[in-house]
Amino acid sequence: MSDAELTVAQVSAVHGRGGRARQALAPTTLEIRAGESVAVVGPSGAGKSTLADIVLGLRPPASGEVRVSGTAWCTPGSLPDRRRRRLVQGVSQDPTASFVPRWTIRRSIEQAVRRLTGETDAADRIRQAAELAHLSPELLDRRTTALSGGQAQRAAIARALAVRPAVLVADEPTSALDPATARSVCAALFASAAETGTALLLVTHDPELAARCTRTVRIVAPAQHR
Amino acid sequence: MRNSPVLGHLSRVLSGVALMVVAGALPWLSRTDPAAAVLRARYAELEPSPEALAAVRDELGLEGGPLDSSLRWWSGAVRGDFGTSWVSGGEVAPGVWRALGVSATLTLFAVCVALVVAAALVAPACRRVLRDRPQRGSGPVGVALTALPEFLLASALLVVVAVQLRWLPPYGWTGPDTAILPALSLGIPAGGLLGRLLADAVAGVAEERWVHVWRLSGAPRRVILAGVLRRAGAAVVDQLGFVLIGLLGGAVAVEQVFAIPGLGRHLLGSANAQDIPSLQAGVLVVAVAAALVGALTSLARRLLRGGPLPPGSLPPPPEPRGDGRLARWTAGTALALLLLILVTGLPRDPYTIAHPRLAAPSPALPFGADASGRDLLARVAHGTIGTLTPAFLIVLGAIVVGLLLAMLGEVSRGPAEIANATPPILAGVIVAALLGPSVAGAALAVLWVTWPPLTTHAASLVEEARAMPHVRWLPLAGVSSTEIWWRHVLPSTIPRLLRHGMLRLPGVALALAALGFLGLGAQPPLPEWGLLISEGIDYVERAPWTTAAPASALILTSVFAVALAGLRRRLPPNAPRRPSLTVREDAEVSIPASAV
Repeated sequence: MSDAELTVAQVSAVHGRGGRARQALAPTTLEIRAGESVAVVGPSGAGKSTLADIVLGLRPPASGEVRVSGTAWCTPGSLPDRRRRRLVQGVSQDPTASFVPRWTIRRSIEQAVRRLTGETDAADRIRQAAELAHLSPELLDRRTTALSGGQAQRAAIARALAVRPAVLVADEPTSALDPATARSVCAALFASAAETGTALLLVTHDPELAARCTRTVRIVAPAQHR
Repeated sequence: MRNSPVLGHLSRVLSGVALMVVAGALPWLSRTDPAAAVLRARYAELEPSPEALAAVRDELGLEGGPLDSSLRWWSGAVRGDFGTSWVSGGEVAPGVWRALGVSATLTLFAVCVALVVAAALVAPACRRVLRDRPQRGSGPVGVALTALPEFLLASALLVVVAVQLRWLPPYGWTGPDTAILPALSLGIPAGGLLGRLLADAVAGVAEERWVHVWRLSGAPRRVILAGVLRRAGAAVVDQLGFVLIGLLGGAVAVEQVFAIPGLGRHLLGSANAQDIPSLQAGVLVVAVAAALVGALTSLARRLLRGGPLPPGSLPPPPEPRGDGRLARWTAGTALALLLLILVTGLPRDPYTIAHPRLAAPSPALPFGADASGRDLLARVAHGTIGTLTPAFLIVLGAIVVGLLLAMLGEVSRGPAEIANATPPILAGVIVAALLGPSVAGAALAVLWVTWPPLTTHAASLVEEARAMPHVRWLPLAGVSSTEIWWRHVLPSTIPRLLRHGMLRLPGVALALAALGFLGLGAQPPLPEWGLLISEGIDYVERAPWTTAAPASALILTSVFAVALAGLRRRLPPNAPRRPSLTVREDAEVSIPASAV
């Protein structure tokens, strides 16, 4: 095997079961090294977000294997071990997904740092992550409901980077933002990933954004027969 | 895996088999030794010596285990042989068929009444569709009709029409004139419920976009109305099924009041005599009828809606409508009156015989005295506690059961469907036959019919909570699935489930009272509403207040329940409106006594 941080080998996904089963992601293969960024593009319904979910370890693939830092991450029968969750973090299209609504941003990040790294004092990491994500520190003590879309997305990036993952998955991170905010959030995303040497998997519709990545992987729509 | 449809079917089949085994083995589930029960029933004077018991066992074929006797009973039952009665020693089957004939006839009459009532309630909504007027709720008439528990309506009709006006015979089953009053007391609440649900469904459907589109494209009004009725009917057809089953097997109270030899009375008699074979036969007949009705309604739903329902939920009845102001006032007034009874009555003594028998109401004795000379106000007030406390515990129990089963997903589908189709009184009869009549037994029976809707709701709330983006992403923060359940899914589920449970509280209390009325629940001298009414009904001509006092408390609760169910949840102004989520809890409060 190569020295890739993330290896996706012949991964496919199926929605539903029995007679209603339908392929949601045609077998897909890609590799990302540390510091690289790969854009995943493809038509709607091709399974881009499904691929993101599988790499994040939120759902198992129907076939194939995902490897992170050279060891198995998730296979058809297994999801990643809880203690290794630190390795892959994500930023969703909906930034509220990263935060428990009744907690402040700081508390959500603290909890994640404590559980994933075992460190009890998360203050330093949070400060650094906020800096990386261009998030002003006073926003850390608000809840997501009190943030604008761009602020919340930066907070989500900060949360993901606070645990220093090997792989960062960003699923349409800017699709809910206005163009100016989208540009600055993107800048923050690329800069922080480059600075920390994180492998970045970027799911996007936007050709401009894809062009800024090291490589582009195009996934094809799965066959429409069952 | 938890939501696989295969699991749902498997659960149905397994619960069906389990139900059959249990039905066949009922004698062995009885708290008493079946042989001892038979011996006591037939030869009261005989000592239950081991030899005598062995002889009885031998004679009844009770040797072997529960599974064995269950198999033997079923092999007889499929050939139409239900065994011999423990009490009379005669064949059970002919009596059951006779009772079934009577019940079927009575049900037919009652359905006619119900259809007329329902049609009358739906007519205004249909007229509004034809004239393209904005829809309103089903209104207070529907509420009033459904708020009447059947046994109360039956007693009232008996007293007024048969005893005082002497227009119709008070009891028996001798001709068409004896069927009128029972059919009215069964049909009016059933029709009220159906009409109200259908009117609400029509009102809801009439506001759907396609109706507007059809209007714009110039479709004739009749066609639009037919389309609306078809869609509304699909939403109510399941409820129609439950109402039919309720009429056939659950008409115990009405048959008891009018002394009609139907299935309900057959069941009640067998339960009181602990004549299990006779009870088994009755239950089997009702279960078969219920299965038939269930198959028919699902067929009807398929015809109306096209295709089977996606797995995952029992279809909820339509959303109640109405502006809520009237409902709030009604609920508030009823609650205030109930509290007044409680506050004034609780300090008084419900047990001491300190007054003249059947003393009339007076300032010192606001509700009068009962046949033993006890203070009725005190008894009604203490009865409120005696009825509402078990009701509260039942609701809490049902919530716990609902949450546990919601975690299991489709596994609970089979039991839920069976329990959902069981009329509370039928459950009460079975439990009473097995455990003897008691408050706990009645509570168990009512719990059995209370958990399914709460489970359905819990399951949908859990699904919803798990689908929330931040809950879906919690594993990324290293949160274990157990912790996700305890700290994130349950806390967002429990408050709404509690609210739904509290909406059901009065309905549960009414079901308990109905069981008490039949002598299947609380036993004298405990003050309990149903029991109080049945104690008072013998003196209703000389002292109407003996029934009026507990009955009015019951009616207040019932009105409170129905008005409460009609209230819409008021969302904070900026909260997102998610119709599919707000419907369930209010809508599923089906009407208390109607299934009784």
